[in-house]
Amino acid sequence: MAEKEIPILEVKGLKTYFTTKKGTSKPVDGIDFVLNKGETLGIVGESGCGKSMTSLSILRLIPSPSGKIAGGSILFKGKDLVKLPESEMRKVRGNDISMIFQEPMTSLNPVIPVGEQIAEAIRLHQNLGKKAAWEKSVEMLRLVGIPSPEKRAKQEPFQLSGGMRQRVMIAMALACSPEILIADEPTTALDVTIQAQILEIIKNLQKQLGMGVIMITHDLGVVAETCDQVVVMYAGNIVEHTSSKELFANPKHPYTQGLLASLPNITEDVEELRTIEGTIPSPYNLPKGCRFSSRCPHSKDICSERNPELFEVSDDTKVRCWIYSDNWNNQSKREEECLNEKHS
Amino acid sequence: MSIEVKSELNHSVSQVLNKPKESQIKNALAILLSNKAAMIGAMIIIFYLLIALFAPLLAPYDPYAINLDNKFIPPSADHWMGTDDKGRDILSRLLYGSRLSMGVGFAAVAFGALFGIMCGLIAGYYGKWVDSIIMRVMDILLAFPGILLALAIIAALGPSLINVTIAVGAFSVPLFARIVRGSTLEVKKLEYIDAVRSLGANDFVIIFKHILPNILSPIIIQGTLRLATAILSAAGLSFLGLGAQPPSPEWGTMLSSGRDFLFSAPYIALFPGLAISILVLGFNIFGDGLRDALDPRMKN
Amino acid sequence: MAMFIFRRLFQTIPVIIGVTFVVFFIMQLVPGDPAVILAGEGASKETIEALREQLGLNQPLIIQYFDYITSLLKGDFGTSLKSSQPVLDEILVRLPITMELAFVSILITIFLGMAAGIIAAIKPYSLQDIGVMLIALLGISLPSFWLGLMLMYFFSVKLQILPVAGWDSPLHIILPAITLGVGGAAIVARMTRSSMLEVIGQDYIRTARAKGIKETIIIFKHALRNALIPVITVVGLQFGALLGGTVLVESIFAINGLGRMIVDAIRMRDLPMVQGGVLVASLIFVIVNLLVDIFYRLFNKRIDLN
Repeated sequence: MAEKEIPILEVKGLKTYFTTKKGTSKPVDGIDFVLNKGETLGIVGESGCGKSMTSLSILRLIPSPSGKIAGGSILFKGKDLVKLPESEMRKVRGNDISMIFQEPMTSLNPVIPVGEQIAEAIRLHQNLGKKAAWEKSVEMLRLVGIPSPEKRAKQEPFQLSGGMRQRVMIAMALACSPEILIADEPTTALDVTIQAQILEIIKNLQKQLGMGVIMITHDLGVVAETCDQVVVMYAGNIVEHTSSKELFANPKHPYTQGLLASLPNITEDVEELRTIEGTIPSPYNLPKGCRFSSRCPHSKDICSERNPELFEVSDDTKVRCWIYSDNWNNQSKREEECLNEKHS
Repeated sequence: MSIEVKSELNHSVSQVLNKPKESQIKNALAILLSNKAAMIGAMIIIFYLLIALFAPLLAPYDPYAINLDNKFIPPSADHWMGTDDKGRDILSRLLYGSRLSMGVGFAAVAFGALFGIMCGLIAGYYGKWVDSIIMRVMDILLAFPGILLALAIIAALGPSLINVTIAVGAFSVPLFARIVRGSTLEVKKLEYIDAVRSLGANDFVIIFKHILPNILSPIIIQGTLRLATAILSAAGLSFLGLGAQPPSPEWGTMLSSGRDFLFSAPYIALFPGLAISILVLGFNIFGDGLRDALDPRMKN
Repeated sequence: MAMFIFRRLFQTIPVIIGVTFVVFFIMQLVPGDPAVILAGEGASKETIEALREQLGLNQPLIIQYFDYITSLLKGDFGTSLKSSQPVLDEILVRLPITMELAFVSILITIFLGMAAGIIAAIKPYSLQDIGVMLIALLGISLPSFWLGLMLMYFFSVKLQILPVAGWDSPLHIILPAITLGVGGAAIVARMTRSSMLEVIGQDYIRTARAKGIKETIIIFKHALRNALIPVITVVGLQFGALLGGTVLVESIFAINGLGRMIVDAIRMRDLPMVQGGVLVASLIFVIVNLLVDIFYRLFNKRIDLN
């Protein structure tokens, strides 16, 4: 138990940039995290913060030619995926690492029976014959709780409800028993009762298969229910990296605090939910200092001057905020230093 | 007094509307100017227009002068494109012919657009049974394959360049009507149309002052692309001997007389066809560029 | 589906009636007295009067139209003024030739067009894409009557590998079919490309990529079937343009089909022949459009119900 395994996924300094006519946008700008076997990592943030691009980068599915991994490494069991040739990368996709997308309505091919859409991946990665792959595909549909899977497998997506389609997506992603499952907002498009069922299915399968899960969501409820550790992203940066417990008990970053404050609270009877004012900065035009500074209630001069690094505040918590630097309180002095640095 | 107030209000409404319109035009122009293909297309069209305008100055010979001693001269220094079976200079005939071939195209599209726009505006604006009747008639006109409707019209009216213009124009009518009707329905839903109406504007004013200016983009795009087809169809009909008649230097007619000498003097048919192809190419690429610039939704 | 076919058939009836009306009405535009024209030059007053009576030309227009429709339903398309043969007989002799030409041409339009569109869409904005699209742009800009002549010059006169004109052997069909099919192929290519590019940007293509599937399989198995749906409609419309185009191509290659028959009839002022020819060609187009619609629906039902 105490034996230290190599993590199944280690993302180091990952940068994903897009070059278009408007300029360069940086939806992922230097991300680090580690995922261990059997563990669930949550990536949280508003839409546009770069969480989906992070997951697409891991599978190297960023829209090309405008998008590119501009730096960093993605180590899958020690093997750098960024440097892998495309043909090798294809063997990883759907086999070692697979993904559930957020739009069950549009993520399945409308003209191919769902069973075939699952069986296709099985044939490809597991060298099974047509019949065996089909049987496995039906088995997977049964596993994710689809009633009469033999019949459903032959149907096309339009004959299935949204919840069923999302189950198909999960069955497809898990068909080859991947080591890592990336679930990008797996429940956003579904209604609440089905949401819970889907999360339950993922959790159970994770236990059975022992895979690592990256749960991408803007829903802190999902995080509370499923995640071991959490990464909070804001404008392409990680602003807080902590354990799930700590996140809810003791949020550190003003942005995280804002996110939690905007959750409905059952114990308090408030008329209106609090929201974080302002909007996320454009990825084309990122501010020089802290990217949250324009919306931060604690913002001081230094915040708009320099982007803070991730300060380690405890064993399992890192925060990208000047408040947790040694001399937040002597901020004016810091500022002078900062200016001197520039002049020299 | 109250009338004055009304017109002032009316004015301010249209001012509000015109402002974004202007920047929209500027924006579209900027996209158009940065679209290299569209600019090439525009240059081709301008080049042809200049030729049509200055044909008498540019033409080295009289396009109609028959000189049987000079017939079938291949392209040479004296006759860049050679001479035809009657010794006429092909280049000179092409230059003059540009007026006819382009003229028919423009006239036919103008004719088709005029009727099509009227029908589309009325159908879109009044809706209900007016719309149903007009659009059913348009459907029927579209049920005729290609230039066959034009052929039927020419069969009735007799072969001539003017009748070709009418016939080719007639088969653009339903295409303009459809596009204009669709855009009118969209614009009609906008709130400001209600605002203008509540200020007492009558249907005529609403249709021509407020709806029409707002649906010009699709009309212009359609018009440009129609010009390409109209020039092709008109030349085709003349090629069949149903339009301009010899000795007219209309390009289709020239091509038609050139086909008799395809074996011995292929250049007689070569150059008029090239002239048509390049002009139509110009309209097509300009039309494509225009569509990208004015209406990104129509991009396909 | 049966309901849809039934409804669609029902909608076709007014269009067919409308087409007959337009054909009938256009012939009323003929300047001068139709009886005088039909009787020919130098006919006596009595002959003209008798003809007027015989053809019902002294009846009100609406009665005349009704008569026209009734005789059409009986298969009577009138009599050719030149050959004195029934128009329908003349048409039926030529129709198979035109249909054969149209069939081969539409195959060229479909397969050449789709292949070009796919080739372009596989690598958007690459050299191969730009090249194919430039050729397609040329394809929609070249006048078919000129292209036909140039092909004839090159393959029949210069290289002498294909017959110049006529309709005697399968070789004879090659040049006319290419001439007729190329314009449509260019339009289908443009449509296929843009449709493919749109489909390739869809979520389900990303899903397929996430499964580790090869790009070629993605193109042919996952993208193409979806991309072809809008192309079907374009092919249907192209069939109309193609039918119209037979008029030019049959004249160039001296093919004794429906198109050339119409042109000759116009030249000889043989109005019943023109009327009959245009009507038959239009009815074929209406029927083809009906079939295309039904086919589209069959192909598309899944997406429709979403």
